[in-house]
Amino acid sequence: MTAVENARPRPILQVNDLTVHFPAAGGKVVHAVDGVSFVVHEGRSLGIVGESGSGKSTTAQGVMRLVPATSGQVVLRDEDFLAMRGGRLREARRRIQMVFQDPFASLDPRRQAGELVAEPLRLLEGLSRRAAADRVAELLPTVGLPPEAAFLYPHQFSGGQRQRLCIARALATAPELIVCDEAVSALDVAIQAQILNLLRRLQQERGIAYIFISHDLGVVQHLCDEIAVMYLGQIIEQGPTASFFSAPRHPYSWSLISAAVPAGPLRERLKARYLVKGEPPSPIDPPAGCRFAGRCAFAVDRCRTETPLPRPVAPRHFVACHRAGEIEAPDFSSGEMARSA
Amino acid sequence: MIPILSVRDLTVSLKRASGTVPVLERLSFELDRGRTIALVGESGCGKSMTALAIMGLLPDGFALEKGSILLDGEDVTKVPPARLRALRGNAMSMIFQEPMTALNPVFTVGDQICEALRLHQGLGRQAAMERALAMLKAVQIPAAEQRLHAYPHALSGGMRQRVMIAMALACRPKLLIADEPTTALDVTVQAQVFDLLKELQEEMGTAIVLITHDLGAVADITDTVAVLYAGRCVEHGPTLEVMEAPRHPYTRGLMACSPHLRLGAAAAGVPEPLQEIPGLVPPLGQRPPSCAFAPRCARATDKCSAQDQPPLAAISPDHEVSCWHPEERAVA
Amino acid sequence: MSASLPTTQTGAPQGVASPAGTALRLFLSNPIGLGGLIILVVLVFAALAGPQLYGVDSLDIVGMPFQPPGDDPILGTDYLGRDILAGLLQGGRASLAVGFTSALITVVIGVAFGSLAGFFGGAADTLLMKITEFFQTLPTLLFAMVLVTLFGQHLVVTTIAIGIVSWPPTARLARAEFLRLRGLEFVKAARASGAAPAYLIWRVILPNAAPPIVVSATLAVGTAILFEGALSFLGLGDPNVMSWGLMLGQNRAYALDAWWTVMFPGAAIFLAVLGTSLVGDAFNDAINPRLRKR
Repeated sequence: MTAVENARPRPILQVNDLTVHFPAAGGKVVHAVDGVSFVVHEGRSLGIVGESGSGKSTTAQGVMRLVPATSGQVVLRDEDFLAMRGGRLREARRRIQMVFQDPFASLDPRRQAGELVAEPLRLLEGLSRRAAADRVAELLPTVGLPPEAAFLYPHQFSGGQRQRLCIARALATAPELIVCDEAVSALDVAIQAQILNLLRRLQQERGIAYIFISHDLGVVQHLCDEIAVMYLGQIIEQGPTASFFSAPRHPYSWSLISAAVPAGPLRERLKARYLVKGEPPSPIDPPAGCRFAGRCAFAVDRCRTETPLPRPVAPRHFVACHRAGEIEAPDFSSGEMARSA
Repeated sequence: MIPILSVRDLTVSLKRASGTVPVLERLSFELDRGRTIALVGESGCGKSMTALAIMGLLPDGFALEKGSILLDGEDVTKVPPARLRALRGNAMSMIFQEPMTALNPVFTVGDQICEALRLHQGLGRQAAMERALAMLKAVQIPAAEQRLHAYPHALSGGMRQRVMIAMALACRPKLLIADEPTTALDVTVQAQVFDLLKELQEEMGTAIVLITHDLGAVADITDTVAVLYAGRCVEHGPTLEVMEAPRHPYTRGLMACSPHLRLGAAAAGVPEPLQEIPGLVPPLGQRPPSCAFAPRCARATDKCSAQDQPPLAAISPDHEVSCWHPEERAVA
Repeated sequence: MSASLPTTQTGAPQGVASPAGTALRLFLSNPIGLGGLIILVVLVFAALAGPQLYGVDSLDIVGMPFQPPGDDPILGTDYLGRDILAGLLQGGRASLAVGFTSALITVVIGVAFGSLAGFFGGAADTLLMKITEFFQTLPTLLFAMVLVTLFGQHLVVTTIAIGIVSWPPTARLARAEFLRLRGLEFVKAARASGAAPAYLIWRVILPNAAPPIVVSATLAVGTAILFEGALSFLGLGDPNVMSWGLMLGQNRAYALDAWWTVMFPGAAIFLAVLGTSLVGDAFNDAINPRLRKR
C-alpha cells in the first residue's frame, strides 16, 4: 500500500439519507432516524453520539438491517446493502458485523461460548463444526481469552469477558467494519479501558473500521477519527474529532460537552452557560424547523420554522445550525486563564 | 458535634456451605451533616453491600460479622426490626440505579410519595399530598400538579429519578444513600440530577453516601472519597486531595482508565493510549489476607503477597492509604 | 495477555455448568420432584411389564362378578367377573399412552402456532391467534365428545381429540415466550450474524422458550389422563381396549355396592396425575432461577 493510499483511505460504507420511521399509537409516526448521511473509511472510526431518543442505536440497527429502513441507501463498497438478498447478503454480512451494548443480554445463555463465537462462521461461511471450532480456538486468544473458554457458558464469564466474547464473535468472519452499539457503556471504567484498548489494537492490526455508537464523549474522542452528533433522529454536527473538539459549533454539542467536562471551574462555567435544561422531546411527530430550537438558548424565530441544512464550517466539518456563524463559541481555556484574558 | 453516620470496623460475610467468606472487611468512615462521601470501586468491590448493610437490608445469606453503624449516635445494627423500619425511609433513605424498576407501576407518583409521609410522619392525606406536591416542585418537575396524579410509566427516565429523589427526601432524612443514581440517565440529565441533589442537600443538610464507579463524574459534589477494592478500603481522603494525588495504585489506575475530554487547543493532538488495569476483581472466596490488588498491580513486590495487607495509614491529616508501596506524591 | 477465567483455570472443561445440567441437578435434589418421578416410573414399569408378569388378560372373565378384594383375585373382580388387578395393569398402558401422546400432540400444535405467531407478529400473529381463540372458546369436554362421536370410539380418536382440544393454552404460552425472547439482544446478534428465521426459531429462541413449555407439557400428561377418564366415564371410551377410565365408566353404576371396582382405577388415575404434577412443579422450580436457593 502506498503512502498516498494511506493518507486518503477509501470509503467502505456510505449511508445516504437513511430514514427509519415506526408507527406509533394513534396513527402517529416515530421519526427515529430522519435523513442521516455519513461515510465510514477503511480502517477508521466514526463515533455517533447523542442521548436516548436521538436515534443513534436505530441508525446502527438500520445499517445492519436489524430494523427495516423507511428510505435511504446503505452502500457497502459499491453495492446497495439494503437491496441484497440470499448469497450476496450472506457474503456482505461477513464484512460487516456488530457488537451490542449489554454483554449479559447479547449472548444466548443456553449455548457454549465456542458455539456462539462460531455461529457467524457456520451461518455465513458454511464451515463444519470442527473447522469452526478450530477458528474459534485461534480467535479467543486474540481477544484475551484462553482457548478453553470455548467450553464455558456465558453466565460463567464476567461482563468484560463476555464483551470480549462478543468481539471475538464479530471478528470471526474477518469483517472490514464492526458496528459497536454502546459496546463499553455497561462496563466498569477499569474494564472499559481494557475493551477500548482491545478495539484499538484490533483496528491497528487488522485495519478494521468501526462505527462506534456511544453517549460518552470522552470515549468517542479517544477512539474515533470522526464524530457525528445526533439529536432527535438527525445529525446536527459532524466532523473530524480534532476539529470538533477544538471548535464545536452547534449549541447542542456545547451542552453535551459541558456535561462531560471533568470537575473544575471550566465545568462550572460551561454548565452555567450551555447545559440545556429538561430532556429531549419525543421523536413522535417532531416539530418543524430545527428540532433543538425548543431547548436552545440561542434560538430565533427562523429556527422554529425553517430546518437548518448542514453547512461546512471547517474542512469536512459540518453543522446544521442557522446561527452557527453568529453566536460566539465557548471558550475552553481553563478558568484562571479565561479570567486573566 | 457527632457525625450523622459513623461506620466502624464494618465486616460482612457470606455464609456458604463451605464456610464463611468475607465480603466487606473492617470498613470505617464518618460523615458529617450536609456532607457527601463517595464510595468508589469496580463492581464486586462491596460498594452496594455497604449501602445495604447501612440500610439493614443485607440479602439472605449475608451477615454482619462485627462492627457498628451509628446513625446520629444510634447503632442501627443493634436496634430491633421495628425501630429499623421506622428509621428506613424516614431518617435514612436510598435511591437506586434503575428508576424504572424502583417505582411501583400500579400507584400514582403522588400516592407513592405520600406513603412514606403518612407512615413515618403521621400526616393526614391532605397534608401528605401537599408535602408531596412541594417535593415534586423541589425536584424541579415541570407541571408538578399534574405529575402528582401520573403513573410511573408516563414519566421519562430522568423524571422518574427525580420522583425517586422526591420520595427519598420527603421525610427530610438525615442520611441519603444514592447507589449509582444517574447511570441509567443521559449525560445532560445526569448533570442536572447531580446539581439538584447538591441543591437539596444544602437546603436540608442531608448527608449523602454516593456510590459510583467513576469518581471523575462526581468529584465536584463530594467532599470525601473512600476507594474500595475487593471489600476493603484501600484509600480514604478528601476528594480534591485524592483526585490530585492518588496514592494507592488502584486509585491511580481507576483515574487513568477513563478517557478525559480534551477541548480547544488540546483536542488537536493524537490521544495517548489509555491506561488499563489488567485482570479482574478477585471473586468472593479468592481474596487472600495479603493485598488483593497485588496480582493486578504494577508496583507489587514479593512483600505484597507475602504479608497481610497493611492497615490504612495516615499520609496527611485526613488522607489514609493501605499499601506497602504507595505512589509518590510528586508524580501527580 | 489472557484474562483468567472465573471457574476453570485449566484446559479441561470439567465442571461445565450448562443451564440444562444445572436444572437437572436441582430437579434431582428436590425430594418432591424425585417422589413424583418415582411414582411415574413405578406406574410406567407396572404398565409395561405388569401384564406379562401377572399373566391374566384383563378382558377374560376369571370368576364370579363383584368378588371383593381378597386372596384370589387379590383386588377382586368387576361387574363381569374380570380381574381388577389385570385391568389396572393393562389399562395403565392405554391410559398412560393416551396421556403422553396427547400431551405430545398438544405441545406440537401449541408450539407451532405460538412460535410462528410470536416470531413473525403482525398479520400472521393475528390470524394464528384468532384460530387459537376459536379453539379456546369451545367447551373442551363437549368438543372432544363431538369428535369422538363423529370419528368413532377408538383409542386413537380419543388421543387425537384430547390433543386437539388442549393445545390453545400451550400456544399462548409459547407465543408469549417468543414475543419476549425475539426482542432480546442475543437474538438480534444472531440475526446480525446472518441467521434465517428457521434457524432463529429452532436454534436460538426455542431452546430458551423450552423450560415453561416443558413444565406445561408435563402437567398436560396428567390432564390428558384425567380427560380420558372423563370421556370413558361418560361412556365414550374405546370399549375394546382396557383403560383406567373404561374401568371407571363401566363400573360406575355399582360404585356404592362394590367400591373396589372404581376405587382402584380411581386411585391409579390419582397417582398418575399426582406424579406428573409433582414432576412438573419440580421442573418449574429447577428452571425458574428466581426460586433457586443455594
